[in-house]
Amino acid sequence: MLQVEKKTIPGQIDVYVIPTNKFKTVLVTVMTRQLLSRELASKTALLPSVMERGSRDYPTYQDLMIRLEELYGSGFSSDVLKKGEKQVLSFSLEVINDLYAPGKDLLRQGISMLRSVINQPLLENGGFKQDYVVQEKEQLAKEIKGLINDKVNYALERCVQEMCNTEPFGVFKYGSIEELEKITPEDLYAYYEQLMAENPLDIYIVGEVEPDDAFKLVEDAFAGTNGVARRAMPPDQVQHIPDDVRYHDEKLPVNQGKLTLGYRTNTTYGDDDYVSLLFYNGVLGGFPHSKLFQNVREKASLAYYAFSRLEKHKGIQLIGSGIELQNYNRALEIIKEQVDQIKKGEINHEEMENTRRGLVNQFKVIADSPYSMLSLSMDELMGGRQEGVDYYIGKLESMRVDDVVAAANKVYLDTVYFLHAEEEVKA
Amino acid sequence: MSKLMEWAIQENELLQEKIYHTILDPGLNLYILPKKGYNKKYAIFSTRFGSIDNHFRVSGNGEEVISVPDGVAHFLEHKLFDNEEGNVFDQFAGYGGSANAFTSFTNTTYLFSCTDFFPENFELLLDFVQSPYFTEESVSKEQGIIQQEIRMYEDNPSWRVYFNLLSILYGNHPVRNDIAGSFESISKITKDILYKCYETFYHPLNMAIFVTGDVSPEQVGAQVASSLARRTFAPLEGIERIYPPEDGVVVQQKITQDLAVSQPLVNIGYKDLYNNLEGQELLKRELSMELLLEMIFGRSEPLYNNLYEEGLIDEKFSAGYVAECTYGYTLMGGETRDPEKLHARILEGIEAVRKNGLDEATFQRHRRKTQGEFLRSFNSLEFIANNYLAYRFRNSDFFDVYRMLGEMSLSDVEDLLHEHFKEERHAISIINPM
Repeated sequence: MLQVEKKTIPGQIDVYVIPTNKFKTVLVTVMTRQLLSRELASKTALLPSVMERGSRDYPTYQDLMIRLEELYGSGFSSDVLKKGEKQVLSFSLEVINDLYAPGKDLLRQGISMLRSVINQPLLENGGFKQDYVVQEKEQLAKEIKGLINDKVNYALERCVQEMCNTEPFGVFKYGSIEELEKITPEDLYAYYEQLMAENPLDIYIVGEVEPDDAFKLVEDAFAGTNGVARRAMPPDQVQHIPDDVRYHDEKLPVNQGKLTLGYRTNTTYGDDDYVSLLFYNGVLGGFPHSKLFQNVREKASLAYYAFSRLEKHKGIQLIGSGIELQNYNRALEIIKEQVDQIKKGEINHEEMENTRRGLVNQFKVIADSPYSMLSLSMDELMGGRQEGVDYYIGKLESMRVDDVVAAANKVYLDTVYFLHAEEEVKA
Repeated sequence: MSKLMEWAIQENELLQEKIYHTILDPGLNLYILPKKGYNKKYAIFSTRFGSIDNHFRVSGNGEEVISVPDGVAHFLEHKLFDNEEGNVFDQFAGYGGSANAFTSFTNTTYLFSCTDFFPENFELLLDFVQSPYFTEESVSKEQGIIQQEIRMYEDNPSWRVYFNLLSILYGNHPVRNDIAGSFESISKITKDILYKCYETFYHPLNMAIFVTGDVSPEQVGAQVASSLARRTFAPLEGIERIYPPEDGVVVQQKITQDLAVSQPLVNIGYKDLYNNLEGQELLKRELSMELLLEMIFGRSEPLYNNLYEEGLIDEKFSAGYVAECTYGYTLMGGETRDPEKLHARILEGIEAVRKNGLDEATFQRHRRKTQGEFLRSFNSLEFIANNYLAYRFRNSDFFDVYRMLGEMSLSDVEDLLHEHFKEERHAISIINPM
């Protein structure tokens, strides 16, 4: 369905081109990965923000922004993601397809700007520019402290931190204030050089391009990139059967209690039964027709939201719901009951078919968005597989209740986290 | 069997897109944008009924002014998802459709996306939006769910800082009230109130449909026509929406609230002053204001970069303009360590631009950027459909944005620079850490 062309160019850079004429833009993403760890997480997260402040050719942020405006409002962004026990750093550039801006050669000029940010950082005294590092450390510290501002997300992240407090996955994607404070412009630059030379470097291009032309463009732009023996990323630690369920309460002045349940799925993206797990998640809480929404919200009127979601690579499932404090026990009971029902095979025909159609739909629309295509390709790369959309659709089409039940029975409740405003929760 | 449908085809050469438009008995506007090669089909059914429509008069119904509790439009949106057969989400799920809805200040929009079974999903959309089914019991059950939705927003600092600002920017206009209403106002909503609002605002004359994806306009048109033909509609002469007069002065200049946040959050607003602007005139004002704000606060401008380097703003800082027929305002802000200092620096920044003036090269650069961003946004079917109808409800044409930007001149922007930023029309809202 989606044709992906791959080429490894000098510097050990893997380039993936997905040609399609559906979009008005061409998307170029450069991505690298690092193992998540308490020591390195802040350093890794700080890098893209410092690099984005200025490069040799565009020494200030203002210079970069003016350049993007000249390139017909091209989009440029950097991102730090946590996928399993890895941090993923990405730089993305989106330019208008030459068809809509004829003769402007936007793709070549855009890639050249991207190269400048990635390969030619602005240096002083053997390190990144001091002012930029100081300012970006301050900004990142605010981001770390700012986790608390979005309570829904805060409750999910805190559950993960408690659940995985002795594992790399318990590290916040931006690291910690403590580690952040230690970073100097010189360390950061040394770290940058090491990361760029030793860690995987991948480039994705999605849009109306000839693969050979696209390979040539990036090969020219990224010529001279260091990188000989880039190291492979080891798989995540996934298998985990908890001895007991752990309960955590946290008190904050909130108007609504936020309940989060963290489960170990013992199944990861690279496993053959991953699609069964995905299906299980769909029956439980991925859709409005799912058991959680139907029972916590529609039948019991306890919540506005009640969902489940997967962390695909680490093998974790989170359930989240916003409730009144006094409904804690009732909500918890209803949620656990839904999980138990599926484990016992109590999934009716309608739940099965609705989930199947809903998930098939989600895979079919991937081809309609450059960012979705990119995201699937990244997941496949990290999960160590190259299947393409049709594989998942085929698996979904042939999914049976038994498969879902089998995946469900590998899932174990690990941690229950509750954020609320009172001193004590009435048991 | 059915009479031949008449289509007006609007072709935009630059965007390389074609929109098919027809009006179906008794007055429903239908727009279709075929997108060859897309797997996704996206359809929205929208009514011009939002949270601000809480006082109205129906023509031919004497002088009676109907007043409804705050939050009715949003409540009605929730309730339409229940019909006599049960929950509409489940019915969509049976065809792999993903349905949702949202209520804004001015509109309520019902939507779905799907890849397969388009006619079945579309039929469901047409059907559930046109089949109100409210009982006292189901209304009271929904109150519990919406109360939790309100609670969720009470904990959301970005939402609070914004609604607090609107509540002091406007003294009378209902844009000052939360879209979902309050615990108190929604407790007053009954099934009779819902039916009354439904009959008034869900008349086809007050609604529109937009469909996009790899679909055939003829088939979609026939399906809508047949759905409408199966129902009877009382004649609707017109809805007069009543908004209390709003003067050029804000209620108060500052409002603060304490929440569990890591650092303060600020929204600064300037209330615009006009009465019922619409069509090209409103679109031009919106685009000129957006360009002006870009020229002052844009990321390529010194003000943004200075504030960032001083640590007074972060990259989420934004400035934008909202243009509706009965109100308009500028909104800017974000997180900051020092709200008072940021406020002072923003006012100085505006003053400096007023004193030094705007230049042509900067104008050209921002205009080109805005045009490019507009083109880029056309990758998203949802974005096109939602905007197209929102602009239509203001009698303007979203597809015209690119051309209109191209025809604008620096003087359009300069006029607004001197007219807009008035001390007495400006207010600040702050969320402080507890």
